[in-house]
Amino acid sequence: MVSTLVAQAPEATVLSDELRAAIDREIARFPEPRGALLAALRLVQDELGCIAPPTARAVAEIFGLHPAEVLEVLSFYNLFHTEPQGRHEVRVCTNLACSLRGARTLLRELEEHLGIRAGQTTPDGRVTLGHEECLGACGYAPMLRIGDRYHEELDGPAARALVDGLP
Amino acid sequence: MPTITVDGRRLEVPEGSTLLQALDELGLLMNGVDVPHYCWHPKLSVDGSCRLCQVEIEGVPKLQIACDTPVADGMVVHTTSERVQRAREGVMELLLVNHPLDCPICDQAGECKLQDYAVDYGLDHARTREPRRPGRKRVELGPTIVFDEERCILCRRCVRFCREVPETGELVVENRGDRSRITTFPGTPLDNPYSMNVADVCPVGALTTRDFRFKVRVWDLDEVPGLCTGCSKGCNVHVGVARGAVQRYTPRRNDQVNETWICDEGRLSYREIGAPDRITRPAVRDAEGRMQPVSIARAIERAAERIRAAVLREGPAVVAALASPHATNEDLTELRRLLDGIGTATSGAAVVEGEPDGLLLQAERAGNARGARDLGFGDPGLVFEKIRGGGVRVLLVMGRDLLAEPFLGGTDPLASLDAVILLDTHRSALEQVADVVIPGRMLAEKGGSMTNHAGLVQRVPAALEPAFDAHAEGAVLARLRAALELVLPARSEGAA
Amino acid sequence: MGQTAPHVCGYLTERFSDDAFGSFAGYREAGGYETARHALNRMTPEEVIAVVKSSGLQGRGGASFPAGLKWSFMPTDDEGPSYLVCNADESEPGSFKDRLLMERGPHQLLEGLLIAAWAVGAETTFLYVRGEYAEAASVLARAIGEARAKGVLGPRALGSDFGHDVVLVRGAGAYICGEETGLLESLEGKKGQPRRKPPYPAQRGAFGRPTTVNNVETFCHVPHILKNGADWFRGIGTEQSPGTLLFGVSGHVVRPGLYELPLGTRLDEILFEYAGGVPGGRRVKGVIPGGISTPILPAGLLDVRMANEFLRERHTLLGTGGIMVMDETTCMVRVGCIASGFFRDESCGQCTQCREGTGWLDQLLHRLERGDGSDGDLALLGDVADKMEGGTICSFADAAAWPVQGLLRHFGDEFAGHVSARGCPLDQSFAL
Repeated sequence: MVSTLVAQAPEATVLSDELRAAIDREIARFPEPRGALLAALRLVQDELGCIAPPTARAVAEIFGLHPAEVLEVLSFYNLFHTEPQGRHEVRVCTNLACSLRGARTLLRELEEHLGIRAGQTTPDGRVTLGHEECLGACGYAPMLRIGDRYHEELDGPAARALVDGLP
Repeated sequence: MPTITVDGRRLEVPEGSTLLQALDELGLLMNGVDVPHYCWHPKLSVDGSCRLCQVEIEGVPKLQIACDTPVADGMVVHTTSERVQRAREGVMELLLVNHPLDCPICDQAGECKLQDYAVDYGLDHARTREPRRPGRKRVELGPTIVFDEERCILCRRCVRFCREVPETGELVVENRGDRSRITTFPGTPLDNPYSMNVADVCPVGALTTRDFRFKVRVWDLDEVPGLCTGCSKGCNVHVGVARGAVQRYTPRRNDQVNETWICDEGRLSYREIGAPDRITRPAVRDAEGRMQPVSIARAIERAAERIRAAVLREGPAVVAALASPHATNEDLTELRRLLDGIGTATSGAAVVEGEPDGLLLQAERAGNARGARDLGFGDPGLVFEKIRGGGVRVLLVMGRDLLAEPFLGGTDPLASLDAVILLDTHRSALEQVADVVIPGRMLAEKGGSMTNHAGLVQRVPAALEPAFDAHAEGAVLARLRAALELVLPARSEGAA
Repeated sequence: MGQTAPHVCGYLTERFSDDAFGSFAGYREAGGYETARHALNRMTPEEVIAVVKSSGLQGRGGASFPAGLKWSFMPTDDEGPSYLVCNADESEPGSFKDRLLMERGPHQLLEGLLIAAWAVGAETTFLYVRGEYAEAASVLARAIGEARAKGVLGPRALGSDFGHDVVLVRGAGAYICGEETGLLESLEGKKGQPRRKPPYPAQRGAFGRPTTVNNVETFCHVPHILKNGADWFRGIGTEQSPGTLLFGVSGHVVRPGLYELPLGTRLDEILFEYAGGVPGGRRVKGVIPGGISTPILPAGLLDVRMANEFLRERHTLLGTGGIMVMDETTCMVRVGCIASGFFRDESCGQCTQCREGTGWLDQLLHRLERGDGSDGDLALLGDVADKMEGGTICSFADAAAWPVQGLLRHFGDEFAGHVSARGCPLDQSFAL
């Protein structure tokens, strides 16, 4: 029986004053506070690495929402994570334009090179490898992003070199 | 009022309503005009996502969902055209693509809208041979509700219920696409005083109550209209009876009273009917002070003896009665006739009060408090005063509410009376001071009418016979009156 | 960035190779913001709308809805605030034009926004940028800062009585937020689930207020239309589809990238003249003309002008102008797998047909690709796609069904071949 009754006690992460202030600045940009929810989740994730349930609860308290509503939002969007990711997020675009130019072969090569499957993180916590739907770089395929940065017109060796160069 | 035509039938419909609302208000929905639907619920906001209620409207090229289409004068609607049937069939097939089709072991079987609609509107065979999406089984969403994810069709009625009725919002849909699933936030379970209604709004077997799960197959259940007697709201229920016992209450729709809801406490109050502490046998106190089981006739005879003796000795004013606010108007009418016959007016009803919740639960925690008041059984304060002052010798007690604060708080004030005649359904400390104990019946065991807080009189039939020798209080009181009239013919007030 | 300017430029992109064009100073030097200054100070909103209407400008976000008409839906008697929303959630596979327009011409976009805001009477523009577009967001943030500092935005925009500000909002990764009401939900801090319509955004849009939503490229055309006139604009492109479009060409071509060309340019011309044809001397097999949602065209049907009035005759659409080219080695079942996998991932999950249908199509196509298909599967595939079409809250389910319908229409034999060969008979195809 899967029970939510014995799950962790409702504990909320204490967010730093700086983070709180940054969230308040975001809230001020919208006609209704809730408009800033995505921005707040992004800020919190950038600072803490992921949005674990106690963090989601803290965000919910700021916005006066039920924590489940925050869960609903953050689970809807690709860019939010509820579990810690590697130091570097490497995501290969595998949509059609990139796949026509070998993106899926490239992803297999990176999997082999790193010894992990897409969706996994290297044991040392350095790299999380994944695939992504179209990143809007179809003319420069294949490509991947590392964190926020795009790397385009790649081949196997270039992609491996990029990943090897990550601290 | 706009007039629309549905399947060739001209209907006057309420202005500003949607097609489904209009059909619902006219009592035609699924009862003459079949527009199957999952996400739409008459008492929840429109969701428009299941897409099953598509109908054809003349002049509109695409099929429209009836739940979100406002009526307009002159609108011509077709609900049975081939296009509509094809669209329904398509939606039904897609809904069933990932459904486990485990009806034989599903608790909802027999009252499942997926099962019903699949038979009425679906294909007769499955065309998918893909593996069905696995989901979590037997998830305890909270203390009252168990969730089977594989059976869920994501109509989101439960989500909207929690947001819109108790406004607690514990349930959400997480993820997106075909990974969408109903869930709670870790550490914040589905736990509110109305939580079990999600099992009623769930059109399939995904949400079930822990209370009723696997207790009995619904087709073995006899459903009889009843009332919840937990408070003065008078929520309408279906009394589900099987194997000679009440197995559950489910809310019965009444837009004037409880719409389609009932509070969890009220829903579970059916347990009082089959509770182990029911009074099951008439008894009278013997010369040694022990209670001895007797026949109902003997118990009534003893009660009559006690009343007769007191009246002959000190006059009718020393007889008092405390009416039960849980009794029916019929019971209470008999009590009133009895008291009139004896010639006493010393009576009242003790009504326990609590906090109202702003939704259904009323302050007065008795189903017929208003009915009792309307029949003259008001504030019991004077009765208690008279008891404490020694002015009462025989007390006829219906129900045990007087034991609660702020009333007597206990049985001590009753110890000095000549006799306490107790007519009640459940055991209590009153038995220790009673001279005569006569078992009563719960509403579901006798039927009758009650008057709710707003003055609405609601009558329901009996749903089952008790397994023991109990009689409706009204019948007992009528027999007691008959027994007294034998020796007190035409006695009138003040004749002592 | 792959390109700083398209391979072929037009009025939208002719200055993109100049880095300075991205700065306020450089944009001003090129005459930037003069059109907006004129519009805000010398034209009424009605006059602006009239020009845009008569220009025939159609939305460039995929639906090709007439922009001026959309603007005219805004209520004029409403007392409270109303909003303009720039849909910069570019996510249609095959489409990568808006990213360049934002990264290389942020002030051109801001000028378009300002003129549109004046026309529809919006006090604030929400510029909703796709979450993954970090570079575009940072370029735009800088440009908005400059525009505020220079009085282009603010309580007296460009010296007029019109107060306006642009609020930059970043998405968080969900294709469906490109659907305008999904975007509005996301803007309000919710899941990006499209809304039922009516009410339309012009009645109840962002935060419950009247709102106009247009795509990045649509706004970028506006200053040029105002500056040069509706007739000038109508002189470019086709009669029904005027102006240029920033075509994205990708897949099996010699010179992939962006090309700003008049609408109505022939597809085979774009493919062979501009993009250099298929590399390695191979032949083209099929082309998706307007992003992954638009049905594919086989090699024999590429002599078509790129505008909806011509593409419709061939059962496809212009979409966002994202042209994806497949050579003769390409397995079309795999193309279907990628499309269906994408739509399965990105469906918001509200409507039954979409939530369940995208998954079913994906499973069916992958089974065919593995060689596990049976004769009935092709008919079933088409039937499932047909059942998904036309009955949902938004057009996402349609967009998921169209590519499958197109592939079956033109490559049905190849699909059947996967059944009879119990697998993919094309040994040179790209890997799945």
